Amino acid sequence: MDILLKYLSLEDPNVRYVVIAIVLLGGMSGTVGSFNFLRKKTLVGETVAHSMLPGVLIAFLLSGVKNPAVMILGAAISGWMSIWVVDYITQQSKIKGDSALAIVLSSFFGLGIVLLTMIQSRYTGNQSGLDHYIFGNAAAMTPEDSVAFASVSLVVLGLIIASYWSIKAIIFNPDYAQSIGISRRKTDTLISIITILTISVGIKAVGIVMMSALLIIPPTAARFWTDRLIPMLVISGIFGSLGGWIGAFVSYSQTNMPTGPWTIVSVSIIAFISMLFAPKKGIVYQRWNKLQLRRRINEENLLKAAVQSEVRGKGKLFTRTTINERQFFESKLWNRTIGRLTSKGLVRKVHGGYTLSTSGRNYGADIDRRHKIWEVYLQRRMQMSVHLVHDEAETMEHFLTPEIEGEILRELGLCSRFNPLLEIHEIIPDPDLA
Amino acid sequence: MDAVWIIITGFLVASSTGMLGNLLLLRKMSMMGDALSHAVLPGIVIAYLISGSRASLPLLLGAIIMGVLTTFLIQFFSSKGKMQGDAAMGTVFTFLFAVGVILVTKFAGQADIDADCVLHGELAFVPLQQTTYLGFSAPNAVWTLAALFIFIQGVFWAGYKGWILTSFNPEYAKSVGIRTALWHYALMAATSVATVVSFESVGAILVIAFLVVPAATAYLLTKDLQWMVALIILQGLLSSVGGYFLSDFLEASISGSMAVVSFILFAAAFLLKKKEG
Repeated sequence: MDILLKYLSLEDPNVRYVVIAIVLLGGMSGTVGSFNFLRKKTLVGETVAHSMLPGVLIAFLLSGVKNPAVMILGAAISGWMSIWVVDYITQQSKIKGDSALAIVLSSFFGLGIVLLTMIQSRYTGNQSGLDHYIFGNAAAMTPEDSVAFASVSLVVLGLIIASYWSIKAIIFNPDYAQSIGISRRKTDTLISIITILTISVGIKAVGIVMMSALLIIPPTAARFWTDRLIPMLVISGIFGSLGGWIGAFVSYSQTNMPTGPWTIVSVSIIAFISMLFAPKKGIVYQRWNKLQLRRRINEENLLKAAVQSEVRGKGKLFTRTTINERQFFESKLWNRTIGRLTSKGLVRKVHGGYTLSTSGRNYGADIDRRHKIWEVYLQRRMQMSVHLVHDEAETMEHFLTPEIEGEILRELGLCSRFNPLLEIHEIIPDPDLA
Repeated sequence: MDAVWIIITGFLVASSTGMLGNLLLLRKMSMMGDALSHAVLPGIVIAYLISGSRASLPLLLGAIIMGVLTTFLIQFFSSKGKMQGDAAMGTVFTFLFAVGVILVTKFAGQADIDADCVLHGELAFVPLQQTTYLGFSAPNAVWTLAALFIFIQGVFWAGYKGWILTSFNPEYAKSVGIRTALWHYALMAATSVATVVSFESVGAILVIAFLVVPAATAYLLTKDLQWMVALIILQGLLSSVGGYFLSDFLEASISGSMAVVSFILFAAAFLLKKKEG
């Protein structure tokens, strides 16, 4: 607990710079990554991040010092070249985008390793720490790095705000956007620029692979919570920052724990939780929804069968055996369904079986009526054969809303008090009787 | 003699992974090679910790399990979790890699592992440890990689028809009752085995480079699968010889140099095709 308070207060200057840097970086990459995610170019970040290694090293070779600004510039230039080479390969040959990404990634990174080992075999002393660009070293964040992070995130934010509308248009409706004069190429270039800026400042802190993860995972998690762009950008940014904050805490409170990987593990856990429990899109919600639907369909089928046997003059009393003549219920399913119907008051248990309550009878009759209306509609408007319409209607009866029902009746020129129970059977032969 | 062993090692890795890379390329899943080579890391570390040795049976088992698990997780996230395909892959492999790096850092003191040695294997050390089998002395890595080479050739040619069908025309393959998912998992398992076996001697960069670059070069030059295989093996030979001499000249990493030469060969094929087309 003490350690948490100490962490929260940011009184230790070493912790302060690490936390500021990683939270800014997480937020920035979450937001920027969303654009790549929505353009379905998620893995571009992976290639760009790996491809920055030679640029960083060439910048070091040319300048001879480890100045963050110079290294960032070098990283940005070689990141830019990698995107250019990927585009060139895909445009000028039959190699697909995915393979082009992998080719450029491994070749640029291979070149980076060649340069790194060359430097290591020639220089002594001031080259140490260059390999931080591969695995990252958040603990080595300096005040200068924090300034670099803050200024780059301001620039990135400014660029996003300034061109928000054109980016949005290109992401969601590229054809329309181009027809109103928004250049697809310019917008793609802009997205590349903010991606490169983010990665080039980030790799030193968290390393190459963790950097590409920070661009991929927060948007993936955020997508489960919203369908709108601005909330997506904000949520993704928050997830990135939160992951960074947790990662820095784990690294601070435990010995020998790296910040970068713990940041990624934290955002991954956020993503897994989102995938499972997010409202509407989470797996749990979807499963629950499906279960509810299956239950409702079973209940409706049972009520309908009971109404039909009443209408055919087989008496108000029904049991599983009588219902199974029309609609088969396995005994377990029967018990569960009848139990729910009884507790909802749609069915009453009486001596020797069950009987429908008034509301149950109305409900069942409604379903039956929708079934018949759909049969008539299919037959008259879709010219479907009499023998085929029944199966179709078995499904549709559960999904027709009163509004659609009314529309169909109008379309067929029937009045709304039309009672299919009495009339349709003259047109449609009952499959059981046929 | 050391030079020859190093070149042979590079060549064996290139031709084994290249064959699989070929199938990955045809299935438009080259980045899967990159993903798998990152994702097997926790498997390697755990197997190291349990068995305490490298290049052992537990290590292979760990790799296969991780490879299949990765594939399964990606499949699960994209179909059940409704994640966008590339995002599911990115999430899974970076997560597993992060777990691997955490394990490496945590247990670096206890076992003979560190992130550098796992990711950037050093070809220069290959000739140091030699074993004699059948009256013939060769570096350990060469024995293992030769076994891998034979294994991959076996997998490739034994399933040749199946690979062709499931790679070129998966829809048709499915319609005639071939279990495409099974082939998919088999390819992923084979790729993880190749990745892990090669890792130790050449490092991750060269594995990824050799998985995709020779296959892409061959794909540019020919459409025939058997010619592609021949070209992949030829390119493996050229880039290991060229890479060795380049590294000697620059005093730099041999793996990195082989990757660079491999890319130069790709670029040459690319420019050649571009002039023609």
